[in-house]
Amino acid sequence: MSVVATKDLTRRFGRITALDRLTVELPAAGVVGLVGPNGSGKSTLIRILLGLIRPTGGSATVLGSSVHAPRDYAARVGALIESPAFIPALSARSNLVSLARLRRLPLARVDAVLEQTGLTGRDREPVRRFSLGMKQRLGIAAALLSDPELLILDEPTNGLDPAGIVEIRELLRDLGRNGRTVIVSSHQLSEIEAVCDHLVVIRFGELVFSGPMVEVMKRTREHIDIAPEHPADTARLETALAAGDWSVAAVDGVLRVAAGADRAADLNRAATAAGITLRQLVVAQDNLEEIFLEMTGRVDGELASGRAASSGKVA
Amino acid sequence: MIAAIRSELTRLRQPRLLLTWFGLMALFAILVNTIMITFVAGGGTLPPGAPGVAFPTRAELERSSGIMAGLAAASNMFGVVTLSMWAVVTAGDYSSGLIRLLVAAEPRRWRLIAGKVVALAIVTAGATTVAAVVNLFAVMPASGAAGISTAAWGTDLLWVVASAWTNLFLALCVWGVLGLVIAVVARSAAVAISIGVGYVLVVESVVKMAKDVPSDWLLGTTLGAVASGGTASVAYGTALALALGYVTLGLVVAVTVFVRRDVTD
Repeated sequence: MSVVATKDLTRRFGRITALDRLTVELPAAGVVGLVGPNGSGKSTLIRILLGLIRPTGGSATVLGSSVHAPRDYAARVGALIESPAFIPALSARSNLVSLARLRRLPLARVDAVLEQTGLTGRDREPVRRFSLGMKQRLGIAAALLSDPELLILDEPTNGLDPAGIVEIRELLRDLGRNGRTVIVSSHQLSEIEAVCDHLVVIRFGELVFSGPMVEVMKRTREHIDIAPEHPADTARLETALAAGDWSVAAVDGVLRVAAGADRAADLNRAATAAGITLRQLVVAQDNLEEIFLEMTGRVDGELASGRAASSGKVA
Repeated sequence: MIAAIRSELTRLRQPRLLLTWFGLMALFAILVNTIMITFVAGGGTLPPGAPGVAFPTRAELERSSGIMAGLAAASNMFGVVTLSMWAVVTAGDYSSGLIRLLVAAEPRRWRLIAGKVVALAIVTAGATTVAAVVNLFAVMPASGAAGISTAAWGTDLLWVVASAWTNLFLALCVWGVLGLVIAVVARSAAVAISIGVGYVLVVESVVKMAKDVPSDWLLGTTLGAVASGGTASVAYGTALALALGYVTLGLVVAVTVFVRRDVTD
């Protein structure tokens, strides 16, 4: 069963098309990663799912109900939308109490989510004294308040320290294992790779990929990162390898060669034949970031959309 | 809707906000009472169409209702304070981004508006009480020092205070709704306050001074008449009916805009 389903979902802002006939189904239970370059339409999709904005075309359902009637599912959905938003003068507890009252929830839920997000003990401090990480925890606490079936979190680990990131990662995994669906939108692809069971990639408002994370990771390939003993030889080594039909590209100060471990010795010999001694030769696996860049075309979405806007396409 | 009211009341428990609001009401109550009594005792008369205030005559001040005359005299000042506070609270939801959480939690957006109006009206009742109490404490010594007779002031005191409180409260709620409407439309407290204050101090005064233009229906005049329990030019019932019309129109605009507009803040 799909927890979210869209069909030809379209949203235009004037001449800009933020979502362009997006058709996707997100499975129930588990953690779903929603990724895409800046301006790809992730926030627009989340806002439509939460009833904050309305689509200009197509249809979408959340927990089986149309996005045109968000009151039918709002009580079963929790969300952290962009940056956490609270009244700075009020304590964390008062902010949560106000939301609990709006949702007609017992105040015991406030204590439960404060405990769940590690905020017990700091809950009576005004939010204005909170660090970004603490505000982020409070945002997640607010999203968990209604013990929702579907949790939509935009950049949930933003501002958290490494220990906090691990803690929230565990929390998201637990929620996913316990029958809830968690949609995580993030730019931190290592986080997505670490916690998600399913991945959705969108670019220019269109679906690029939707499928289980294991299927994504099957696309990973080995590569070999090499560096010459003398950095001045890097360009000569790249030219020599390219002439020898090796697929090579300069990445982060090393030369990345598209080849597996079985060709490492050949590569070393090719460098030696060019008169260059290698000081580094490392066989590695592509990560999600590499796959993402390959899927999305290694472009900054906002810069690309600026260029494309004149043609009326994409935010 | 009870849930929305309780939720909004929780968010309104901000000490700095309430201190500013109640403090300004107290300040204007003292200021206007002191100026009014000094002015009336000195035999002065305000020019027609003077913006913001309407002082009673000496004879009116010495009646039993004179003890609360300062409230009506300062009603437009209190109105601007109330408009500003309602606007600050309403626009604050947009500037903080809280509006996203609220709409996601309660998609029946009209309930959020209704809850906010009722909750702010409850706090406005508190602010009106502060103004009334401070008025009582300010008017006595000022009158004694200025030689105004206070002999009639004890007559029907409870009724006088209750009716003055009710009239001011009703007028302030209309001012507040105006602030809320402008804040919902503009999504900015600064814009809402500028429009409100600019209207009272500039637009309405200019219209009043243009003698050929009928001005009894203007917002400030109408609400001044409500706060005073009716004036020579606008009967109380007429003023109430006009105020009800303003509130209804304002709320229709606010709800329509809020329900139909995207929440992109």
